[in-house]
Amino acid sequence: MLNKLLFKNQDKKQLVIAMIGAFLGIAFLIISIHYLIKVNQFGEGAEILGPNTVIVQKKVSNSNTLGLSRTDFSESEIQKIKDKKYVADVKPVISNNFKVSFETSDPLVPRFRTDVFIQTVDPEFLDVKIPNWSWKEGDEYVPIIMPRDFVVMLNTFMSATDIKQISDDGVMSIKCKFMISNDKREKEYVDCRVVGFTNEVSAMLVPQNFMEYGNSRYSDGTAQKITQIMIQGKEGKFGEVEQLLNARGLESKNSQVVVGRLKSIVGTLVFIVLCISVIAVFVSGLVLIQFMQLLMTRNAVEVRTLMRIGYHPKIIIKKFFFYFLKVFGVVAILGSIAFFITKYFLDETFISGGIYIDTALSIWSFVALLAAYLIFSLASYFSAKKGIFNEY
Amino acid sequence: MDITLDHIMPTPLKSIEHDSDSIWGNHVKLEDGKRILLNASSGKGKTTFLTTAYGLRKDYTGEIRYGDENITDFTPDRWTEIRMNEVSVVFQDLQLFQKLSVGENLLLKNSLTDIYTESELKALLGELEIEHKWDQKCGLLSMGQQQRVAIIRALAQPYTWLIMDEPYSHLDVDNAKRCMNLIHERTIAQNAGFVLTTLGDSHGYKYDQELKL
Repeated sequence: MLNKLLFKNQDKKQLVIAMIGAFLGIAFLIISIHYLIKVNQFGEGAEILGPNTVIVQKKVSNSNTLGLSRTDFSESEIQKIKDKKYVADVKPVISNNFKVSFETSDPLVPRFRTDVFIQTVDPEFLDVKIPNWSWKEGDEYVPIIMPRDFVVMLNTFMSATDIKQISDDGVMSIKCKFMISNDKREKEYVDCRVVGFTNEVSAMLVPQNFMEYGNSRYSDGTAQKITQIMIQGKEGKFGEVEQLLNARGLESKNSQVVVGRLKSIVGTLVFIVLCISVIAVFVSGLVLIQFMQLLMTRNAVEVRTLMRIGYHPKIIIKKFFFYFLKVFGVVAILGSIAFFITKYFLDETFISGGIYIDTALSIWSFVALLAAYLIFSLASYFSAKKGIFNEY
Repeated sequence: MDITLDHIMPTPLKSIEHDSDSIWGNHVKLEDGKRILLNASSGKGKTTFLTTAYGLRKDYTGEIRYGDENITDFTPDRWTEIRMNEVSVVFQDLQLFQKLSVGENLLLKNSLTDIYTESELKALLGELEIEHKWDQKCGLLSMGQQQRVAIIRALAQPYTWLIMDEPYSHLDVDNAKRCMNLIHERTIAQNAGFVLTTLGDSHGYKYDQELKL
């Protein structure tokens, strides 16, 4: 009966408009948060370096060839790049300062031997956590991450010699060894094993400890030059990192830049939608609260009379509070349904476009929905309380 | 529960000259269970008395006590308790919910204490000859019919005091008599007292005390 007295026969036009606004805001809020997270996660785990990380070197020009300019990075150059506000971190890529050759040592595969170039990257830059990615003297083998191009080359060799080609798992099970040496004819054999593959780095990656071991025992004594550095851009700032690369004449593998650029563009667009959604939720929440105040003003006589005939203000506050909780609950449910429908079609569109974005639900979308609901609930409660006690 | 008016002077009535036996500015005690007539002409403050004593307005000097409690100390919880179980009121402007039916108006009040069943409420309407109006919206009733609904609504709770502000102003003699009988019966049954404000006519009511404004 109280509901009939307070809420029936009211002009619902303003309520419906506010609900539509809140519905759109909530739907866009959940969708944009979901895709902002998914876009940022895009590419993670697929490669060994984080999606915002590139390995760069200076472009080689004729002046480098003639020895008029340098291709290595000085400490101050690295520091200048590190100081940029859109750069999260910069670390040098350490290369071998000794001779290394790689060869198979498995009776099941023919002997294959080649001189190689090895590198190591700071573990903080590794996106995937490779088990046993460490080495110390006396260990059974050195774990290595192999460039995928090297596997292709290996298989080409196998094919040319009439031997069956080998899969990734097969490569990982082959026993191999490094021969590390120097010009003084000192040499050492160290067993190694492939534990992962990469498209991002052109050299074999080894743990830092192994590189330090080789450089300390077999270095030719010359100072090590830093010809490659890793730059980790801040989330959504990859465009600025790319501008920096162009401005400083740096280059990286194109695939690294493309993903970062794509993420940066899409992330910025989704972020704009997110900002608009937050504003829409806020404005529609305000309209709903305003509608509540209007409803209380229209019902001022009824509210006053109810309290005069013995109704506790808390009962009336509860009525208004729960009424608007229900209203926002309906908005939240409709917004969630809209999210699921939109997600279904967007995921389909991404997949058909060749973008394999993670389709799992993002918990943060629903945390945002819950937060919006809680904020609205609190605002409703305090508005109802203030409005009712004004009539007391 | 005695109601004490200790030198009460509502702000709007300060500028008016009051008689020496007026309740305004004097010490007056409304004793528990007494039947009191408040007789005064228009503009003397009958409604002001009701709204002040019932805690609806606070623009006065002096002190009003329910028993030993000063009403300015009452919390919303205490006022709710009083308005539900101790003091009932028939307002001069009736304050019925015009959009609700007669039955809904009565049930809304009765649901606070469930003192009557729906059929008993209908029977009370029957005593005042408006039982057939149960489903009709209050806004469509005549003033006399609304006045009878307001009286039944005031009776639909336990009380120790019933304060009525010109409750028969739109009733003919026969209907006023029926209302008086109903109020009398219900008030006696609860050992309660009442305050009846009127423009001069006591409507044949027997009273224990007459107050002047």
